Amino acid sequence: MIMMFGSSAGMMETQPREWILEMIEFMHQLDSDLREAGELVSSEGLADGTQARTVTFENGITLVTDGPFAESKESVIGFWIVDVESEARAVEIASRVVAFTHGPIEVRQIMDAPPEV
Amino acid sequence: MRTDARIEDLLRELAPQVLGSLVRRHGQFDACEDAVQEALLAATQQWPERGLPDEPRSWLATVASRRLVDNWRSESARQRREEAAAALEPPSPAQASDRDDTLALLFLCCHPSLSVPSQLALTLRAVGGLTTAEIAHAFLVPEPTLAQRISRAKQSIKAAGLTFTLPPDSERADRLRVVLHVLYLVFNEGYTASSGPALQRGDLSTEAVRLARLLHQLVPQEAEAAGLLALLLLTDARRAARTHADGSLVPLADQRRELWNKPQIDEGTALITRILGTANVGPYQLQAAIAAVHDEAPSNEQTDWPQVLALYQVLARVSPGPIVTLNRAVALAMVDGPRAGLALLGTLDGDDRMAHTHRLDAVRAHLLELAGDPAAARASYLQAARRTASLPEQRYLALRAAQLG
Repeated sequence: MIMMFGSSAGMMETQPREWILEMIEFMHQLDSDLREAGELVSSEGLADGTQARTVTFENGITLVTDGPFAESKESVIGFWIVDVESEARAVEIASRVVAFTHGPIEVRQIMDAPPEV
Repeated sequence: MRTDARIEDLLRELAPQVLGSLVRRHGQFDACEDAVQEALLAATQQWPERGLPDEPRSWLATVASRRLVDNWRSESARQRREEAAAALEPPSPAQASDRDDTLALLFLCCHPSLSVPSQLALTLRAVGGLTTAEIAHAFLVPEPTLAQRISRAKQSIKAAGLTFTLPPDSERADRLRVVLHVLYLVFNEGYTASSGPALQRGDLSTEAVRLARLLHQLVPQEAEAAGLLALLLLTDARRAARTHADGSLVPLADQRRELWNKPQIDEGTALITRILGTANVGPYQLQAAIAAVHDEAPSNEQTDWPQVLALYQVLARVSPGPIVTLNRAVALAMVDGPRAGLALLGTLDGDDRMAHTHRLDAVRAHLLELAGDPAAARASYLQAARRTASLPEQRYLALRAAQLG
């Protein structure tokens, strides 16, 4: 799983219109490349972190609050699930995104790999 | 239902033969493979209703040829001329046997220039006769993704100008090694079987055994092909005992051995006994021999551990690697005590190949537990649980740690 962090609201405010159009184009192209390579399992973009609801457990009761209002670099904004030959290939895909967005990305293996016999 | 299963078995047996003869005649692996898939689909729809045709193989070959021609017709005139020209070049002598065709097909699908996921998918479709949907389901990827993977693999075959021929003698051993590895990987994919969709993944193990059996029949003189079949039979024999009803893992030592598949063990043992020592010994034969020693033992304690250790020592010479060292350490611990095993494990510390696997920690935890050091064992189990990428294994390791806490 390739997880992208950031804030779409922040991006809309700070980036010029051309950059945003390019970014949308870039994301479409990436999805289509991954699909054509036979590597894409799924991909989703998430609504901005300010729209999130956080459920926590405090003093014996569940508590619902608005948003993660933590720093945007801690908020997931979208993800790709890919089925690739190696970890290096997943990192390569992530690097392509980071080179464009300059935002942080985490690459995590989804559980249930075959046991190594 | 029984009839349907019989039809399916027959179709999957005939699929590579029909494809082989079609490719030999027309030379276009890509188009022929599509045509055969369409013919197989037509057969699964028509045969159960109308009954088996008198000559099932000719029926499939005729339908596939017709589809091939139809597909050519529907393409543009220019393309058609190109295809026709290509069709005139006979790729190999006309009188090849079904055996050679199926074997050439296996070598083509497992060509080293293809990526490993492509090799697996293509082999299952072209040689195994599985549909794209079935393969996608087994590998837990969407069908369009897998379809794309297969189509890319076929494009690579075309682009690399790979031909439908048996590899020359000079390359044969290397190419066979790739084929064996692909079948081994298909088996491993299926051997995860834990719950839900994983149950269907178990079918991949069955399919790998079927393909290994086919390969062994095609090249009966190749000891490693026989070794692979024996290894898969002897490992697959334990499948029912390998997980609890809830999908959690049961280690070999604790498995209920009465659940093991006795006929499969007998077959695997007979096979490995017959070939061992008749040719150059290879890693699959040795692993099969080790699996046979385990499968023959009435309990973990009564296992012939000195024999297992001796076989791992040979394996370490023939095919050295960190995983072999790990397994050798377990056998050594059973023969000379856990401290001896732990000392051997120590040689793997700092080995880069072990940096991203949980196996070293898991084995160390087990040996520390045997050595009577529960605190250190617990720490190693937890470290292993953090590192594994398999959910059933993670649960098992976390449980072992908790039991020591």
